[in-house]
Amino acid sequence: MANKRKSRGKGKSGGRSRLWGWLLKLGLVGLVLVGALAVYLDAIVQEKFSGKRWAVPAKVFARPLELYAGRSLSRDDFLTELKALGYRQSNAANGPGQMAVGGSRIDVYTRGFQFFEGAERAQRVSVRFDGNRVAGISGAQGLVMARLEPLLIGGIYPAHNEDRILIRLDQTPPYLVDSLVAVEDREFFQHFGVSPKGIARAMFVNLTSGSLRQGGSTLTQQLVKNFYLTADRNIIRKGLEAMMAVLLELHYSKEEILEAYLNEVFLGQDGNRAVHGFGLASQYYFAQPLQELQLHQVALLVGMVKGASYYNPRRNPERATTRRNLVLDLMAEQGMISEQQATDAKNKPLDVTRGGSLANTSYPAFMDLVKRQLRADYRDEDLTSEGLRIFTSFDPLLQHKAETAVQATLKRFGETPDKTPLEAAMLVTGAQTGEVLAVVGGANPRFSGFNRALDASRPIGSLIKPAIYLSALEKPERYSLITPIDDAPITLEAEPGKTWTPQNYDRTSHGQVPLYLALAKSYNQAAVRLGSEVGVDTVLNTVRRLGVDHDWPAYPAMLLGAGAMTPMQVADMYQTIANGGFNTPLRAIRNVLTAEGEPLKRYPFEVRQRFDSATIYLTQQAMTHVMREGTGRSAYNQVPSSVRLAGKTGTTNDLRDSWFAGFSDDLVAVTWVGRDDNDRTRLTGATGALQVWNAFMGAAHPQSLADVPPAEIVMAWADPATGLGSDPSCEGSVEIPFRAGYQPLPGPGCKPVIDTEVIRDGANRVLDTIRDWLR
Amino acid sequence: MRQVALLGAVIAVLSGCAGSGGAIPVVDSGRPVSNEDMRTGAGRVTTQTPQAPAAQSDSGVVVMVPDGQGGSSAVQSYPLDNQPAISSSGVSSTPISGSSVGSASASGALQADEQLDGPVLALLTTARQQESNGDLNGANASLERAMRIAPREPQVLYRLAQVRLSQGDAAQAEQLARRGLAYASGRPSLQAGLWELVAQAREQQGDAAGAEQARQRARVSL
Repeated sequence: MANKRKSRGKGKSGGRSRLWGWLLKLGLVGLVLVGALAVYLDAIVQEKFSGKRWAVPAKVFARPLELYAGRSLSRDDFLTELKALGYRQSNAANGPGQMAVGGSRIDVYTRGFQFFEGAERAQRVSVRFDGNRVAGISGAQGLVMARLEPLLIGGIYPAHNEDRILIRLDQTPPYLVDSLVAVEDREFFQHFGVSPKGIARAMFVNLTSGSLRQGGSTLTQQLVKNFYLTADRNIIRKGLEAMMAVLLELHYSKEEILEAYLNEVFLGQDGNRAVHGFGLASQYYFAQPLQELQLHQVALLVGMVKGASYYNPRRNPERATTRRNLVLDLMAEQGMISEQQATDAKNKPLDVTRGGSLANTSYPAFMDLVKRQLRADYRDEDLTSEGLRIFTSFDPLLQHKAETAVQATLKRFGETPDKTPLEAAMLVTGAQTGEVLAVVGGANPRFSGFNRALDASRPIGSLIKPAIYLSALEKPERYSLITPIDDAPITLEAEPGKTWTPQNYDRTSHGQVPLYLALAKSYNQAAVRLGSEVGVDTVLNTVRRLGVDHDWPAYPAMLLGAGAMTPMQVADMYQTIANGGFNTPLRAIRNVLTAEGEPLKRYPFEVRQRFDSATIYLTQQAMTHVMREGTGRSAYNQVPSSVRLAGKTGTTNDLRDSWFAGFSDDLVAVTWVGRDDNDRTRLTGATGALQVWNAFMGAAHPQSLADVPPAEIVMAWADPATGLGSDPSCEGSVEIPFRAGYQPLPGPGCKPVIDTEVIRDGANRVLDTIRDWLR
Repeated sequence: MRQVALLGAVIAVLSGCAGSGGAIPVVDSGRPVSNEDMRTGAGRVTTQTPQAPAAQSDSGVVVMVPDGQGGSSAVQSYPLDNQPAISSSGVSSTPISGSSVGSASASGALQADEQLDGPVLALLTTARQQESNGDLNGANASLERAMRIAPREPQVLYRLAQVRLSQGDAAQAEQLARRGLAYASGRPSLQAGLWELVAQAREQQGDAAGAEQARQRARVSL
């Protein structure tokens, strides 16, 4: 345009032909320029469209819920999981994503899923409940087990926070494509990328209303705009957009363009993250996979293409409803659906979920752990762009119970006198598998800052004691559960030239106590005496063998837990005791699939035997006494007394840190309560952390600790006062487990061995006889 | 404890072996003893009557039945419909795949010492199929799934150890077999199989003497 003006200034005689020459040259230059531009744009179009079109963040999944007869699972928990997965109530579960809920029976039609070790097919499963257990499942012929699909718990996002759930054209629900074309670009299947008719219409509207209001863009142009260009509106950009749209249509089929559009279109904003594509929008607004959407839901999403925030159904429900119904009317008008269908759909609610956060911030503490374990094996850019599918051991049901326990208990404690909030952390693992099931990183489980479960390293106090008693029980020739331990005051050399006199919590000495009771009551003097007898070095090495690396100096104060650990390390240590002496590195990730569902990597279960099972069995026995008659007693206010539990309280100096670590047969749970400024909490292990643990275990339905002794254990009767062998006939004697070969010999018994009456009778008879002779 | 005695009894009957139970010394302290106390009150029980899975049977076979988080508790087991007990000749059909359990590499197929219940059996069968298709990673994943359901079932650990051995991870195979031994008291044929696996794993690790010791334990177990 500017060139023309220049040439006009040269209006002289004989200039006319020269002018035409110029114009010709200019035209040629223009053509060449346009050609070059076209070639350049073509390269851009093809490069973006033929390669990997989107950076898809890694998706992180919870464990899939397994269903089989005998499984411990309550009906309510099952419903919680189904609702989180977006299952919809119906009278009969006729298709994937539907459930029919009865009193003790729930029918579900699972969705099917590609797992690491194979595909789980979508199928109808009827689950019957009996109390907190699955009484039975039935479905296809001979069905013995089924899996729900795993809950998506988060993604690993790059800085620009883009996310997508990629869908293929053949995975779209009925009416989606038809209605989208009807509403946004009626001539889509006829035009070559731009629609002159549409542009004319748009120009007319824009001229009459005086502003750029109507796009008149085809779907192809919209895709180009989203894909390649910035959002500012001007005529040059419009021209580029049109050229690129035409080029795109030249190279690619309508189906390919449509599929890209479905995955690219902007449909909402979730905090700082844009919701792109119908796949993700379906999860974001309905918590359902796109394939399952019904007519009224499809119409809502299609209506939102025009302005996702303007028609946001959560914020502007009336506006969104009007828009949805307009789309439905248009569909009926064009004969896609009947009037009756349109009316039925218009009578339906919007059906959007109340929440609508795309599990990104939901479980920050657990996601933090997953990311740390992933970064050991993957580069950041792979994690944020390759669409990897990460399968974890995360159990959303247990996580919910852990969070509730932390929050409710802290609320009960109220504020500290100086208004500083109490903090807490919690970690739950599978006792036999070493899998991390739940993590709470602080008093506010949604807060993604300081992850105390992994990073708060605090002195562990009496949590060290099982390591002392375990070290002693490894010497069966000297120590058994019933060996008397002296709880008298003790003074040791703490460091060269410094003495140290630990005290019991109740400031009294308890004399000679059986070894198991000294642990159950958490007597400090007895523990320090025992620890110094077996050797501080030995105890510290036992801690290492239990799975925790540390560089604690071998001072006697270590025997009362002056050394610091994170809750995660404590879980690792107690896991080894819960697991029969086998240490297994705590894992959060089970395996990883590529975006296409191909197996990529496994994180296998690994164990290493660190202690023999007999010694661990005895240690566990002593730790069950903590719960029955020791510092952990209050657990049975929440857990049925038929459930055997084992654990240990921990309290540090001046009541700064309150700890509890304990396990059932299936769960290890570690809780910590303290303050970020490390000031006093006024809580002991029993009054603080144990209360959180109790609240959790009360809700988690733990399995009773197995009481099958290993082969090297024998039962024998003993006198708890002396530790010597006894007999069932003796008052106060107890039957307790010993290392085979080290049990005490049976005592003499407390019933007369020979019936003296008979002897006396006999003797009298003999004497009588003799008297008779003497007569 | 009654259940434990029952378990011992059933095992004794099913395995048809009354040899001395194996004690598994892991750390060399303490003396092995026979666990005669585990073998009391044996009464013949039949476990082959098919019945609906949900029905509580009085068959008296105790299996560890899982809960959601990988624990397990003893409950009455029930055979599956038309489910033959798995035997060392190893033909079993599960409703899931209907394949046959082929002979295993180390010492035959699963030990015929206990009836496993539905999901665990189904997963062991799936793992067997995956293994024969050369998908050892898949087999591993299926077996770990079974382990989460029945964490103390030594049969599962036995198979897991076998697969790891095939993958060349001898150290882990030995550890898994030892973990199986920790839960296999009173099941002598299974103990023998596990010790045999320990021996093979030690051989692969170049520990001939250790392997010989494990073989002796295997013979003693039987």
